Amino acid sequence: MKLDLVHDLQEVYRKTLDSMSRPGLICNIQDQANKVAKEISNFNSAVLALILMLFDTEVKFKVCSKHEAEIVELINQLTYAKVTEIESADFILILGDADPEEIKQVFNATCPGNLRDPHKAATIIIEADSVSNDRDLTLIGPGIEKESYILVKTSHSWVDLRADKNSEYPLGIDLIFTDGNANILCLPRTTQIVQEVAG
Amino acid sequence: MRIEYNFAFFDEGSKREIRRATLKAVAIPGYQVPFASREMPIARGWGTGGLQLTLSLVGKEDILKVIDQGSDESVNAVNIKKLIIKTTGIKVTDETSEATIIQSRHRIPEIPLQAGQILVLQVPLPEPLRYYEPSELETKKLHAEQEYSGAWLMLFEQIMNYGTMSTGADHPAMVHDRYVMAPSPIPRFDNPKLNHSQALILLGAGREKKVYAVPPYTRVESLAFEDFSFEVESFQDKCCGLCGAKGVFLDEILDDLTGETFHQCNDTSYCLQRLNQKSAG
Ligand SMILES: [Zn+2]
Repeated sequence: MKLDLVHDLQEVYRKTLDSMSRPGLICNIQDQANKVAKEISNFNSAVLALILMLFDTEVKFKVCSKHEAEIVELINQLTYAKVTEIESADFILILGDADPEEIKQVFNATCPGNLRDPHKAATIIIEADSVSNDRDLTLIGPGIEKESYILVKTSHSWVDLRADKNSEYPLGIDLIFTDGNANILCLPRTTQIVQEVAG
Repeated sequence: MRIEYNFAFFDEGSKREIRRATLKAVAIPGYQVPFASREMPIARGWGTGGLQLTLSLVGKEDILKVIDQGSDESVNAVNIKKLIIKTTGIKVTDETSEATIIQSRHRIPEIPLQAGQILVLQVPLPEPLRYYEPSELETKKLHAEQEYSGAWLMLFEQIMNYGTMSTGADHPAMVHDRYVMAPSPIPRFDNPKLNHSQALILLGAGREKKVYAVPPYTRVESLAFEDFSFEVESFQDKCCGLCGAKGVFLDEILDDLTGETFHQCNDTSYCLQRLNQKSAG
Protein backbone atom coordinates (compact mmCIF):
# COMPACT_ATOMS: atom_id res chain seq x y z
CA MET A 1 0.00 0.00 0.00
CA LYS A 2 1.10 3.54 -0.73
CA LEU A 3 2.12 5.88 2.08
CA ASP A 4 -0.80 8.08 3.03
CA LEU A 5 0.71 11.52 3.54
CA VAL A 6 -2.12 12.53 5.86
CA HIS A 7 -2.91 9.51 8.01
CA ASP A 8 0.39 7.67 8.03
CA LEU A 9 2.35 10.81 8.85
CA GLN A 10 -0.17 11.68 11.58
CA GLU A 11 0.65 8.31 13.15
CA VAL A 12 4.37 8.91 12.81
CA TYR A 13 3.88 12.26 14.54
CA ARG A 14 1.86 10.88 17.44
CA LYS A 15 4.40 8.15 18.06
CA THR A 16 7.27 10.62 17.91
CA LEU A 17 5.39 12.94 20.27
CA ASP A 18 4.73 10.03 22.60
CA SER A 19 8.42 9.10 22.63
CA MET A 20 9.49 12.72 23.09
CA SER A 21 7.04 13.11 26.00
CA ARG A 22 8.20 9.88 27.67
CA PRO A 23 11.94 9.52 27.18
CA GLY A 24 12.83 5.86 27.10
CA LEU A 25 9.50 4.88 25.56
CA ILE A 26 10.24 3.13 22.28
CA CYS A 27 7.53 3.47 19.65
CA ASN A 28 7.45 1.59 16.38
CA ILE A 29 6.63 2.97 12.95
CA GLN A 30 7.28 -0.19 10.93
CA ASP A 31 3.92 -0.04 9.12
CA GLN A 32 4.58 3.46 7.85
CA ALA A 33 8.24 2.74 7.14
CA ASN A 34 7.29 -0.31 5.04
CA LYS A 35 5.08 1.84 2.87
CA VAL A 36 7.91 4.33 2.42
CA ALA A 37 10.29 1.48 1.52
CA LYS A 38 8.02 0.37 -1.33
CA GLU A 39 8.53 3.72 -2.99
CA ILE A 40 12.11 4.53 -2.02
CA SER A 41 14.22 1.53 -1.18
CA ASN A 42 17.80 2.78 -1.02
CA PHE A 43 17.48 4.68 2.26
CA ASN A 44 16.46 3.96 5.86
CA SER A 45 12.69 4.07 5.55
CA ALA A 46 12.00 4.98 9.20
CA VAL A 47 14.31 7.99 8.91
CA LEU A 48 12.54 8.93 5.72
CA ALA A 49 9.12 8.64 7.38
CA LEU A 50 10.33 11.07 10.06
CA ILE A 51 11.65 13.43 7.40
CA LEU A 52 8.34 13.40 5.53
CA MET A 53 6.53 14.16 8.80
CA LEU A 54 8.84 17.06 9.77
CA PHE A 55 10.46 18.63 6.71
CA ASP A 56 9.24 21.27 4.27
CA THR A 57 10.47 24.53 2.72
CA GLU A 58 10.76 26.07 6.20
CA VAL A 59 13.37 23.54 7.27
CA LYS A 60 17.15 23.66 6.92
CA PHE A 61 19.00 20.37 7.25
CA LYS A 62 22.38 18.70 7.12
CA VAL A 63 23.21 15.06 6.35
CA CYS A 64 26.20 13.15 7.71
CA SER A 65 26.75 10.08 5.57
CA LYS A 66 29.09 8.65 2.97
CA HIS A 67 26.23 9.17 0.53
CA GLU A 68 25.52 12.71 1.61
CA ALA A 69 25.09 14.19 -1.87
CA GLU A 70 22.50 11.65 -3.07
CA ILE A 71 20.54 11.77 0.15
CA VAL A 72 20.48 15.55 0.21
CA GLU A 73 19.15 15.55 -3.31
CA LEU A 74 16.47 13.00 -2.46
CA ILE A 75 15.30 14.90 0.63
CA ASN A 76 15.27 18.17 -1.24
CA GLN A 77 13.20 16.65 -4.05
CA LEU A 78 10.72 15.08 -1.65
CA THR A 79 10.28 17.94 0.83
CA TYR A 80 11.84 21.11 -0.65
CA ALA A 81 13.80 21.50 2.58
CA LYS A 82 17.11 23.32 2.13
CA VAL A 83 20.50 21.88 2.83
CA THR A 84 22.82 23.97 5.00
CA GLU A 85 25.87 23.83 7.27
CA ILE A 86 25.87 22.17 10.70
CA GLU A 87 25.67 25.49 12.58
CA SER A 88 22.46 26.65 10.96
CA ALA A 89 20.62 23.34 10.54
CA ASP A 90 17.24 22.78 12.22
CA PHE A 91 17.65 19.05 11.69
CA ILE A 92 20.81 17.02 11.32
CA LEU A 93 20.77 13.41 10.14
CA ILE A 94 23.55 11.18 11.36
CA LEU A 95 23.31 8.00 9.35
CA GLY A 96 24.89 4.68 10.21
CA ASP A 97 27.85 5.21 7.87
CA ALA A 98 28.70 8.71 9.11
CA ASP A 99 32.32 9.49 9.82
CA PRO A 100 33.03 9.53 13.61
CA GLU A 101 35.07 12.72 13.28
CA GLU A 102 32.17 14.43 11.55
CA ILE A 103 29.82 13.27 14.30
CA LYS A 104 32.03 14.94 16.90
CA GLN A 105 31.98 18.06 14.79
CA VAL A 106 28.18 17.93 14.64
CA PHE A 107 27.82 17.78 18.41
CA ASN A 108 30.33 20.58 18.84
CA ALA A 109 29.05 22.96 16.22
CA THR A 110 25.31 22.34 16.15
CA CYS A 111 23.03 25.10 17.38
CA PRO A 112 21.82 24.66 20.99
CA GLY A 113 19.46 27.64 20.69
CA ASN A 114 19.97 30.75 22.77
CA LEU A 115 18.43 31.92 26.02
CA ARG A 116 15.83 34.07 24.25
CA ASP A 117 14.99 31.34 21.74
CA PRO A 118 15.95 27.93 23.10
CA HIS A 119 13.50 26.34 20.64
CA LYS A 120 15.81 27.29 17.78
CA ALA A 121 18.11 24.46 18.83
CA ALA A 122 18.73 21.65 16.37
CA THR A 123 17.12 18.23 16.48
CA ILE A 124 19.50 15.41 15.59
CA ILE A 125 18.09 12.25 14.02
CA ILE A 126 20.48 9.35 14.52
CA GLU A 127 20.34 6.04 12.69
CA ALA A 128 21.34 3.45 15.29
CA ASP A 129 22.08 -0.25 14.83
CA SER A 130 19.41 -0.99 17.40
CA VAL A 131 17.51 0.61 20.26
CA SER A 132 15.95 -1.30 23.13
CA ASN A 133 14.99 -1.00 26.77
CA ASP A 134 17.80 -3.27 27.89
CA ARG A 135 19.41 -1.95 31.01
CA ASP A 136 22.43 -0.02 29.83
CA LEU A 137 21.78 3.68 30.35
CA THR A 138 19.52 5.02 33.07
CA LEU A 139 17.36 8.02 32.25
CA ILE A 140 15.74 10.53 34.59
CA GLY A 141 13.91 13.79 33.96
CA PRO A 142 10.54 15.14 32.78
CA GLY A 143 8.37 12.49 31.17
CA ILE A 144 9.86 9.72 33.30
CA GLU A 145 8.04 8.54 36.42
CA LYS A 146 11.11 7.26 38.27
CA GLU A 147 13.73 6.12 35.80
CA SER A 148 13.85 4.35 32.48
CA TYR A 149 16.48 2.22 30.81
CA ILE A 150 17.79 2.15 27.28
CA LEU A 151 20.41 0.45 25.19
CA VAL A 152 21.32 2.32 22.01
CA LYS A 153 23.79 0.50 19.78
CA THR A 154 25.71 2.81 17.47
CA SER A 155 29.10 2.55 15.81
CA HIS A 156 30.09 5.83 17.46
CA SER A 157 29.84 7.17 21.00
CA TRP A 158 27.46 10.02 21.72
CA VAL A 159 26.66 10.04 25.44
CA ASP A 160 29.51 12.34 26.49
CA LEU A 161 29.17 14.55 23.42
CA ARG A 162 25.49 15.04 24.24
CA ALA A 163 26.19 15.72 27.92
CA ASP A 164 28.71 18.42 27.01
CA LYS A 165 26.32 20.02 24.56
CA ASN A 166 23.40 19.97 26.99
CA SER A 167 25.19 21.25 30.08
CA GLU A 168 23.44 24.62 30.08
CA TYR A 169 19.70 23.99 30.12
CA PRO A 170 17.45 25.38 28.57
CA LEU A 171 20.05 25.38 25.82
CA GLY A 172 20.68 22.00 24.26
CA ILE A 173 19.88 19.62 21.48
CA ASP A 174 17.13 17.05 21.19
CA LEU A 175 17.81 13.59 19.81
CA ILE A 176 15.63 11.13 17.90
CA PHE A 177 17.08 7.64 17.40
CA THR A 178 15.72 5.16 14.88
CA ASP A 179 16.90 1.69 13.94
CA GLY A 180 16.44 -0.92 11.23
CA ASN A 181 13.26 -2.20 12.87
CA ALA A 182 11.72 1.27 12.64
CA ASN A 183 11.82 1.89 16.38
CA ILE A 184 11.85 5.47 17.62
CA LEU A 185 13.46 6.64 20.83
CA CYS A 186 13.70 10.31 21.79
CA LEU A 187 15.99 12.08 24.21
CA PRO A 188 14.89 15.68 24.72
CA ARG A 189 17.47 17.96 26.30
CA THR A 190 15.79 17.63 29.71
CA THR A 191 16.64 13.93 29.96
CA GLN A 192 19.62 13.18 32.14
CA ILE A 193 21.65 10.07 31.60
CA VAL A 194 22.85 8.73 34.91
CA GLN A 195 26.04 6.74 34.70
CA GLU A 196 25.43 3.54 36.59
CA VAL A 197 28.08 2.50 39.00
CA ALA A 198 29.39 -0.85 37.85
CA GLY A 199 28.70 -3.82 40.06
CA MET B 1 -22.70 21.24 -3.45
CA ARG B 2 -20.46 19.26 -1.15
CA ILE B 3 -17.38 21.03 0.07
CA GLU B 4 -14.34 18.81 0.37
CA TYR B 5 -12.39 19.47 3.53
CA ASN B 6 -8.84 18.49 4.32
CA PHE B 7 -8.74 15.81 6.98
CA ALA B 8 -8.64 17.74 10.26
CA PHE B 9 -9.34 20.93 8.32
CA PHE B 10 -5.72 22.06 8.00
CA ASP B 11 -3.42 21.62 5.06
CA GLU B 12 -0.49 19.38 5.88
CA GLY B 13 1.95 22.33 5.92
CA SER B 14 0.07 23.97 8.78
CA LYS B 15 0.05 20.73 10.73
CA ARG B 16 3.79 20.22 10.17
CA GLU B 17 4.58 23.62 11.57
CA ILE B 18 2.54 23.12 14.73
CA ARG B 19 3.98 19.62 15.10
CA ARG B 20 7.57 20.88 14.95
CA ALA B 21 6.74 23.58 17.51
CA THR B 22 5.01 21.05 19.78
CA LEU B 23 7.98 18.68 19.81
CA LYS B 24 10.21 21.58 20.86
CA ALA B 25 7.66 22.63 23.49
CA VAL B 26 7.80 19.15 25.01
CA ALA B 27 11.60 19.32 25.07
CA ILE B 28 11.53 22.65 26.98
CA PRO B 29 8.67 22.31 29.51
CA GLY B 30 6.83 25.56 30.23
CA TYR B 31 8.66 27.55 27.55
CA GLN B 32 6.41 29.27 25.01
CA VAL B 33 7.33 28.22 21.48
CA PRO B 34 6.09 30.60 18.78
CA PHE B 35 4.34 29.22 15.71
CA ALA B 36 2.54 30.72 12.72
CA SER B 37 -1.11 30.63 13.73
CA ARG B 38 -3.57 30.03 10.91
CA GLU B 39 -6.86 31.75 10.36
CA MET B 40 -9.62 29.58 11.73
CA PRO B 41 -13.30 29.47 10.83
CA ILE B 42 -14.27 30.30 14.40
CA ALA B 43 -14.08 33.60 16.19
CA ARG B 44 -10.89 34.34 18.08
CA GLY B 45 -11.21 33.92 21.79
CA TRP B 46 -13.02 30.68 21.19
CA GLY B 47 -9.82 28.88 21.70
CA THR B 48 -8.21 28.79 18.29
CA GLY B 49 -4.88 27.84 19.86
CA GLY B 50 -6.34 24.75 21.47
CA LEU B 51 -8.23 23.88 18.33
CA GLN B 52 -5.12 24.14 16.18
CA LEU B 53 -3.25 21.83 18.52
CA THR B 54 -6.10 19.33 18.44
CA LEU B 55 -6.23 19.42 14.63
CA SER B 56 -2.49 18.81 14.40
CA LEU B 57 -2.82 15.80 16.71
CA VAL B 58 -5.99 14.07 15.69
CA GLY B 59 -6.07 10.79 13.76
CA LYS B 60 -8.82 8.45 12.63
CA GLU B 61 -8.64 6.32 15.76
CA ASP B 62 -8.87 9.16 18.27
CA ILE B 63 -11.81 9.73 20.58
CA LEU B 64 -12.28 13.38 21.43
CA LYS B 65 -13.81 15.16 24.38
CA VAL B 66 -14.30 18.93 24.35
CA ILE B 67 -15.23 20.84 27.48
CA ASP B 68 -15.79 24.51 28.08
CA GLN B 69 -15.77 25.68 31.70
CA GLY B 70 -16.62 22.18 32.82
CA SER B 71 -19.44 21.61 30.35
CA ASP B 72 -19.47 19.31 27.32
CA GLU B 73 -22.65 20.91 26.04
CA SER B 74 -21.77 24.60 25.95
CA VAL B 75 -22.07 26.37 22.59
CA ASN B 76 -18.28 26.64 22.31
CA ALA B 77 -17.65 23.00 23.02
CA VAL B 78 -20.40 21.87 20.69
CA ASN B 79 -19.17 24.03 17.83
CA ILE B 80 -15.59 22.84 18.18
CA LYS B 81 -16.81 19.24 18.23
CA LYS B 82 -18.92 19.89 15.11
CA LEU B 83 -15.94 21.25 13.20
CA ILE B 84 -13.76 18.32 14.17
CA ILE B 85 -16.43 15.71 13.44
CA LYS B 86 -17.15 17.31 10.08
CA THR B 87 -13.50 17.32 9.02
CA THR B 88 -12.38 14.02 10.57
CA GLY B 89 -15.39 11.80 11.19
CA ILE B 90 -13.89 10.70 14.51
CA LYS B 91 -15.82 9.64 17.56
CA VAL B 92 -16.53 12.12 20.36
CA THR B 93 -17.38 11.38 23.95
CA ASP B 94 -18.37 13.09 27.19
CA GLU B 95 -16.60 10.50 29.29
CA THR B 96 -13.19 11.64 30.37
CA SER B 97 -11.75 8.15 30.75
CA GLU B 98 -12.79 7.14 27.24
CA ALA B 99 -11.15 10.10 25.45
CA THR B 100 -7.70 10.01 23.86
CA ILE B 101 -7.64 13.78 23.33
CA ILE B 102 -9.37 16.16 25.72
CA GLN B 103 -9.62 19.78 24.63
CA SER B 104 -10.62 22.06 27.46
CA ARG B 105 -11.10 25.66 28.37
CA HIS B 106 -10.90 26.75 32.02
CA ARG B 107 -10.91 23.31 33.66
CA ILE B 108 -8.99 20.07 34.08
CA PRO B 109 -11.50 17.22 34.49
CA GLU B 110 -12.15 15.76 37.94
CA ILE B 111 -11.37 12.21 36.83
CA PRO B 112 -7.58 11.80 36.91
CA LEU B 113 -6.01 11.80 33.46
CA GLN B 114 -4.16 8.69 32.33
CA ALA B 115 -1.04 7.88 30.37
CA GLY B 116 -1.94 7.78 26.71
CA GLN B 117 -4.31 10.72 26.98
CA ILE B 118 -3.42 14.21 25.81
CA LEU B 119 -4.99 17.24 27.47
CA VAL B 120 -5.12 20.32 25.24
CA LEU B 121 -5.77 23.53 27.13
CA GLN B 122 -6.94 26.67 25.37
CA VAL B 123 -4.97 29.71 26.43
CA PRO B 124 -6.14 33.31 26.00
CA LEU B 125 -3.02 34.92 27.54
CA PRO B 126 0.08 32.72 27.48
CA GLU B 127 2.47 35.24 29.03
CA PRO B 128 2.38 35.12 32.86
CA LEU B 129 4.57 38.23 33.09
CA ARG B 130 2.34 40.37 30.88
CA TYR B 131 0.51 41.90 33.88
CA TYR B 132 3.52 44.02 34.69
CA GLU B 133 5.55 43.91 31.47
CA PRO B 134 3.76 44.90 28.27
CA SER B 135 6.68 44.33 25.90
CA GLU B 136 7.13 40.88 24.36
CA LEU B 137 10.82 41.59 23.85
CA GLU B 138 11.19 42.33 27.57
CA THR B 139 9.22 39.30 28.77
CA LYS B 140 11.34 37.07 26.54
CA LYS B 141 14.40 38.61 28.16
CA LEU B 142 13.00 38.05 31.65
CA HIS B 143 12.34 34.37 30.86
CA ALA B 144 15.81 34.08 29.34
CA GLU B 145 17.39 35.44 32.52
CA GLN B 146 15.00 33.54 34.77
CA GLU B 147 14.20 36.91 36.27
CA TYR B 148 10.86 36.32 37.96
CA SER B 149 10.99 38.79 40.84
CA GLY B 150 8.15 40.73 39.16
CA ALA B 151 5.89 37.69 39.31
CA TRP B 152 6.65 37.27 43.02
CA LEU B 153 6.12 40.96 43.65
CA MET B 154 2.75 40.77 41.94
CA LEU B 155 1.66 37.98 44.28
CA PHE B 156 3.09 39.81 47.26
CA GLU B 157 1.09 42.94 46.43
CA GLN B 158 -2.07 40.90 46.23
CA ILE B 159 -1.42 39.50 49.66
CA MET B 160 -0.79 43.01 51.00
CA ASN B 161 -3.96 44.38 49.41
CA TYR B 162 -6.38 41.54 49.93
CA GLY B 163 -4.77 39.43 52.63
CA THR B 164 -4.85 36.54 50.20
CA MET B 165 -3.35 35.50 46.88
CA SER B 166 -6.53 36.47 45.09
CA THR B 167 -5.33 35.31 41.72
CA GLY B 168 -8.58 33.48 41.05
CA ALA B 169 -7.81 31.55 37.93
CA ASP B 170 -4.53 31.31 35.98
CA HIS B 171 -2.28 31.27 39.05
CA PRO B 172 1.29 31.14 37.71
CA ALA B 173 3.36 28.03 38.19
CA MET B 174 7.04 27.12 37.94
CA VAL B 175 7.69 24.29 35.51
CA HIS B 176 10.69 21.95 35.88
CA ASP B 177 12.32 24.57 38.15
CA ARG B 178 12.98 26.82 35.18
CA TYR B 179 10.05 28.59 33.51
CA VAL B 180 7.14 30.44 35.06
CA MET B 181 4.06 29.44 33.10
CA ALA B 182 0.46 30.63 32.80
CA PRO B 183 -1.57 27.46 33.33
CA SER B 184 -4.49 29.05 31.41
CA PRO B 185 -7.54 30.30 33.36
CA ILE B 186 -8.11 27.09 35.27
CA PRO B 187 -9.10 27.58 38.93
CA ARG B 188 -6.30 27.21 41.48
CA PHE B 189 -8.13 24.02 42.40
CA ASP B 190 -6.79 22.47 39.18
CA ASN B 191 -3.17 23.64 39.45
CA PRO B 192 -2.04 20.61 41.48
CA LYS B 193 -3.30 18.34 38.67
CA LEU B 194 -0.55 19.76 36.44
CA ASN B 195 2.15 18.43 38.74
CA HIS B 196 3.39 14.95 37.85
CA SER B 197 0.43 14.44 35.53
CA GLN B 198 0.23 11.04 33.91
CA ALA B 199 -1.03 12.61 30.68
CA LEU B 200 0.82 14.93 28.35
CA ILE B 201 -0.55 18.48 28.65
CA LEU B 202 -0.31 20.86 25.69
CA LEU B 203 -1.30 24.52 25.88
CA GLY B 204 -2.11 26.59 22.82
CA ALA B 205 -2.65 30.34 22.38
CA GLY B 206 -4.05 31.28 18.97
CA ARG B 207 -3.93 35.04 19.18
CA GLU B 208 -0.41 35.19 20.56
CA LYS B 209 0.67 32.21 18.47
CA LYS B 210 2.35 30.22 21.19
CA VAL B 211 2.40 26.58 22.14
CA TYR B 212 3.84 25.22 25.37
CA ALA B 213 3.81 21.92 27.16
CA VAL B 214 3.92 20.08 30.43
CA PRO B 215 5.22 16.56 29.75
CA PRO B 216 4.04 13.74 32.02
CA TYR B 217 5.79 13.41 35.38
CA THR B 218 7.05 16.96 35.33
CA ARG B 219 7.35 19.13 38.40
CA VAL B 220 4.85 22.00 38.30
CA GLU B 221 4.81 24.15 41.39
CA SER B 222 2.31 26.95 41.92
CA LEU B 223 4.10 30.14 42.96
CA ALA B 224 3.77 30.79 46.67
CA PHE B 225 5.69 32.10 49.65
CA GLU B 226 7.11 30.11 52.49
CA ASP B 227 4.91 31.87 55.05
CA PHE B 228 2.02 32.25 52.66
CA SER B 229 1.43 28.96 50.97
CA PHE B 230 -0.55 28.27 47.85
CA GLU B 231 -4.13 27.33 48.57
CA VAL B 232 -6.82 26.01 46.29
CA GLU B 233 -10.37 27.32 46.43
CA SER B 234 -12.05 25.85 49.48
CA PHE B 235 -15.60 24.61 49.45
CA GLN B 236 -15.35 23.64 53.11
CA ASP B 237 -17.78 20.85 53.80
CA LYS B 238 -20.07 21.69 50.89
CA CYS B 239 -21.04 19.00 48.48
CA CYS B 240 -22.79 18.76 45.12
CA GLY B 241 -26.57 19.10 45.45
CA LEU B 242 -27.09 16.62 42.63
CA CYS B 243 -24.58 13.81 43.08
CA GLY B 244 -23.25 14.53 46.56
CA ALA B 245 -19.61 14.76 45.49
CA LYS B 246 -17.14 16.39 47.88
CA GLY B 247 -13.61 17.56 47.21
CA VAL B 248 -14.42 18.61 43.66
CA PHE B 249 -14.74 22.06 42.11
CA LEU B 250 -18.27 23.32 42.81
CA ASP B 251 -20.34 26.07 41.22
CA GLU B 252 -22.62 28.11 43.43
CA ILE B 253 -26.07 28.31 41.93
CA LEU B 254 -28.90 30.58 42.97
CA ASP B 255 -32.34 29.04 42.94
CA ASP B 256 -34.59 31.75 41.44
CA LEU B 257 -37.72 30.40 43.08
CA THR B 258 -36.55 29.93 46.64
CA GLY B 259 -33.74 32.50 46.61
CA GLU B 260 -31.47 29.91 48.18
CA THR B 261 -28.06 28.95 46.91
CA PHE B 262 -26.88 25.43 46.36
CA HIS B 263 -23.77 23.82 44.96
CA GLN B 264 -23.23 21.67 41.95
CA CYS B 265 -20.23 19.98 40.29
CA ASN B 266 -18.66 22.28 37.73
CA ASP B 267 -17.53 19.20 35.76
CA THR B 268 -20.94 18.20 34.42
CA SER B 269 -19.94 14.91 32.82
CA TYR B 270 -18.36 13.82 36.09
CA CYS B 271 -21.58 14.69 37.92
CA LEU B 272 -23.73 12.90 35.36
CA GLN B 273 -21.56 9.81 35.52
CA ARG B 274 -21.97 9.70 39.30
CA LEU B 275 -25.73 10.11 39.01
CA ASN B 276 -25.90 7.31 36.43
CA GLN B 277 -23.85 5.03 38.66
CA LYS B 278 -26.15 5.76 41.56
CA SER B 279 -29.31 4.97 39.63
CA ALA B 280 -27.72 1.82 38.20
CA GLY B 281 -26.47 0.62 41.58
ZN1 LIG C 1 -22.20 16.49 41.18
